[in-house]
Amino acid sequence: MADPQQRRSAGDAKAGETSSVSVTGLSKSYGGAGSLRALDDFTLEFGAGQCTVLLGPSGCGKTTVLRSIAGLITPDSGRIAIGGTAVFDAAFGTCDPPEKRRLGMVFQSYALWPHLSVADNVGYPLAASGMPKAEIRPLVESMLEWVSLGGMGGRYVHELSGGQQQRVSLARAVVGNPRAILFDEPLSNLDARLRERMRLELLGLRQRRPFTSIYVTHDQLEAMTLGDRVVVMRAGKIEQVGSPEDVYKRPRTRFAADFMGIPNLIEGRLRATGPDGFVVDTVLGPLRARGWRTGRTVGESCTVALRPTLLACSPDIGAGAPLGRVIRSVFQGTSTIHMIDVAGTTITIESFSEERHGDGMTVRVTPAEGAVFALLDD
Amino acid sequence: MSMVRPAEAKGRPFRISLGLDHAAFAMIAVATAIMVSYPAVLVLLRSISTEDIGSPLTLDWIRALVDSRRSREALVNTAIYTAGSSALAMTLGVGLSFLSTRTDMPGARLLGLLAILPILVPPFIMVVGWVALADPNAGLINIAASMLFGGRTVLVDINTMSGLIWMTGLFLSPYVYLLVAAGFRNCDPAMEEAARVAGASRIGLLRTVILPLQRPALLAALLLVVVMSAGDFVIPSTVGLKARIYMLPSLIWQNSSTFPPQPGLAAAQSMLLVVIGLVCIFFQRRALQRGGRYTLLGGKGAGLTTFPLGRLRYPLAGLAFVFALCSSLLPILSVSAMAFMRFWAPYAMNLENLTLRNFRYVLFEYPQVWPSAQNSLFLAVLGATLCVLLAIVLGWYIVRMRGRFAGLVEYAMVVPLGVPGIALGVGILSLWILVPGGIYGTLWILLLAYITAHIPVALQFVGSALHRVHTDLEDASRISGRTLVGTLRRINLPLMRPALIGSWLLIYVVILREVSLVILLYNPSTIVLPVGLMDIWGSGFYPELAVYSLLLLVLGLVPVLLFGRFARFTAD
Ligand SMILES: Nc1ncnc2c1ncn2[C@@H]1O[C@H](COP(=O)(O)OP(=O)(O)OP(=O)(O)O)[C@@H](O)[C@H]1O
Ligand SMILES: [Mg+2]
Repeated sequence: MADPQQRRSAGDAKAGETSSVSVTGLSKSYGGAGSLRALDDFTLEFGAGQCTVLLGPSGCGKTTVLRSIAGLITPDSGRIAIGGTAVFDAAFGTCDPPEKRRLGMVFQSYALWPHLSVADNVGYPLAASGMPKAEIRPLVESMLEWVSLGGMGGRYVHELSGGQQQRVSLARAVVGNPRAILFDEPLSNLDARLRERMRLELLGLRQRRPFTSIYVTHDQLEAMTLGDRVVVMRAGKIEQVGSPEDVYKRPRTRFAADFMGIPNLIEGRLRATGPDGFVVDTVLGPLRARGWRTGRTVGESCTVALRPTLLACSPDIGAGAPLGRVIRSVFQGTSTIHMIDVAGTTITIESFSEERHGDGMTVRVTPAEGAVFALLDD
Repeated sequence: MSMVRPAEAKGRPFRISLGLDHAAFAMIAVATAIMVSYPAVLVLLRSISTEDIGSPLTLDWIRALVDSRRSREALVNTAIYTAGSSALAMTLGVGLSFLSTRTDMPGARLLGLLAILPILVPPFIMVVGWVALADPNAGLINIAASMLFGGRTVLVDINTMSGLIWMTGLFLSPYVYLLVAAGFRNCDPAMEEAARVAGASRIGLLRTVILPLQRPALLAALLLVVVMSAGDFVIPSTVGLKARIYMLPSLIWQNSSTFPPQPGLAAAQSMLLVVIGLVCIFFQRRALQRGGRYTLLGGKGAGLTTFPLGRLRYPLAGLAFVFALCSSLLPILSVSAMAFMRFWAPYAMNLENLTLRNFRYVLFEYPQVWPSAQNSLFLAVLGATLCVLLAIVLGWYIVRMRGRFAGLVEYAMVVPLGVPGIALGVGILSLWILVPGGIYGTLWILLLAYITAHIPVALQFVGSALHRVHTDLEDASRISGRTLVGTLRRINLPLMRPALIGSWLLIYVVILREVSLVILLYNPSTIVLPVGLMDIWGSGFYPELAVYSLLLLVLGLVPVLLFGRFARFTAD
């Protein structure tokens, strides 16, 4: 397949590489007298060719970061540089309008223009740059093939399915060879199955041609699969940055763990520390944890995370293990989820047998080796 | 580490570098706000100035207003007229809109169309048509009654207060219809289903859910027709003056134009209208805003409870159609009939009396007709175009930029809605009469008056169309490399086209027939069609009047018929 980027670069020597984006000290307030801090001293480097995922609950400022980079919002202070040149700098009064920043963006609402055909939608950034029609046509066609929509250029947007619309929107974002592509929850309007397929497609497209992407979502699965790096945000600040594996395995705070979709965050009290780990008292008794944080004192309260797959529950095995009452047992296809109430704390256990327990039954809960995998700040 | 503290960042130069666009939009917006609001201020000022504005202040005119018997009489008449025609317009408008949107009445769609048709019909057609139908001597209805009952029977008389109220009520009913029908149609079916499930009967539903939800729209419609009828000019100064029923607008005209002119008294009377109008329009805006809180998106028609009319189905349908016809087709037909008559008198109602002479005379021999038609078309086309263009700039500034003066501009835009045309004319006149070598006496002062009066309507259309365009569509275009103006042109204009065409057509039609605005501003070289009509009314040649008003109707309808299908006519 002809690669559109290559062709464009061949014809246009200036066509930029995919660039890094660096954001320094960005702040933005809303409301009278700046009462609502949507973004609070946000600093982050988005690597060239990397996909950085911004993850966080609703209202934490993800969209604000993205739109500030795009130039759709003017932050109160800070600096944004794309490929080393400042597009926004409050100190020097620089603020390039969006059309000068050479970015691409994929919107949650797709934002396709209903009065233009699919081909005109995709070709719009090229037309805006003054490229002649004859050159646009082949580029658009190869772009549409890239997103597996070859031959659909003559259709109108309302004649496409949601997934197809989002692919058109992706093609439009990529076609102008932007320095970075911004995604604002691009998949959240799609149903679960389509979302999964689009996620894998997006991954495939990115593997064939890495482009700098900044991807906003509150779906941790998307974050894990698409991100080279995950940024967990909370109330306009960065809570934790790291590779998806890093953040999942070593969430720094309870908030981050919660947001990475880790169940079984239970309260405990530190009983002993040693060179190879900690012992924590919990409702499941003393648990040995391989903590990665040091400098804790005995007697301190803390949160531990328990892997649902490394816990077992059974009415008969495990004499001496703590007792729990089954709240619910749900068969999920590949596994069974048990929710157990142990002394007032709800524990989620995932077992790969199909055995289910009746509601209200008393079982013993036994953690296997390595069940405790993090020790979190509160 | 923040490099600039927010407090320092405020007012830094980058805010300015952000927008030459922004500055240009703001300037146009503020200039327009001044343009629409100074006439009201000047009316007040003129009413307390001895001579033209700038002369010593006096309370003489106010005193004259209070002392003059004619003024008091006019005030009482205006009050009766306003109350009567508003009540009639409300009854018809609400009734027709409920019947056509929420019941199982036969022909509901057609009725909906007929109910708004009068907006396109100039009030002159209503006047001439109803004179032809209900004149005590030569009205068709009375002639028919005389033939039926023998002797000379006067069944209906248009030259009375009830006659005036009848015409104005019919004329205003479509405005009520438009405001209320949208509300009836856009109800959220879920709300009604919830009430039904909770055990409400159909009537209970009407009483507890549907009507309360419509209360703001009803109030807004009522206040609108009150303003419109209090300031109405054409009907009071034609049939009204003939019947010697003086009202404020017709008195203002007489005081300004008959010898000796009393502009100060006219200004004092205008001031009365301005105050009434502005108070009403203020509450009307508030009601509409409150209605906005109930604006129900999502629910569009499907699933709404329809009310079965039962045995009343056909009688009610018949009645509804009679009223709908009375306000549009019936007057048009009787004007057309009158246009073919050699002369107009009770005994002239026969076939030998038919002629095309009137058409030949008015269209080819009457010296005023073509110059005035040219002026009118020029002003209507240019005026509508400028209104729409200006409204796009203002709409963008208010809705999208939410600029610093947005609130101010929005407030100012309310002024022309509350100030009747004749008073607006007084205000504009009292400024431009002071500017030697200015636009007074040219077509441009008429253009200015038209734009001043109609920019709010255009803005309503543009504003609601802009609200319909998702901002993501604009943002996507900016990120794709188009400037703000490029985005407006390539994305907003095409997407808003139906509303833009709709508002253009509406303003074109209204400018073409507008007379109260310009009756004080024109001179013989800048005469426009409807002013010419007032002249012929004065001369009393009814068949010629009929031809002339048909010309006005046709000129207005041609673009509507040509482009109406590309247009969207509601600004809800
Ligand atoms: N135009 C605005 N006016 C006032 N407050 C705003 C505006 N835009 C955003 N905010 C506030 O700023 C905060 C951050 O908003 P933002 O849109 O960045 O959140 P988000 O992380 O994208 O949330 P979501 O996941 O729901 O999209 C929120 O508290 C929001 O209410
Ligand atoms: Mg968001």
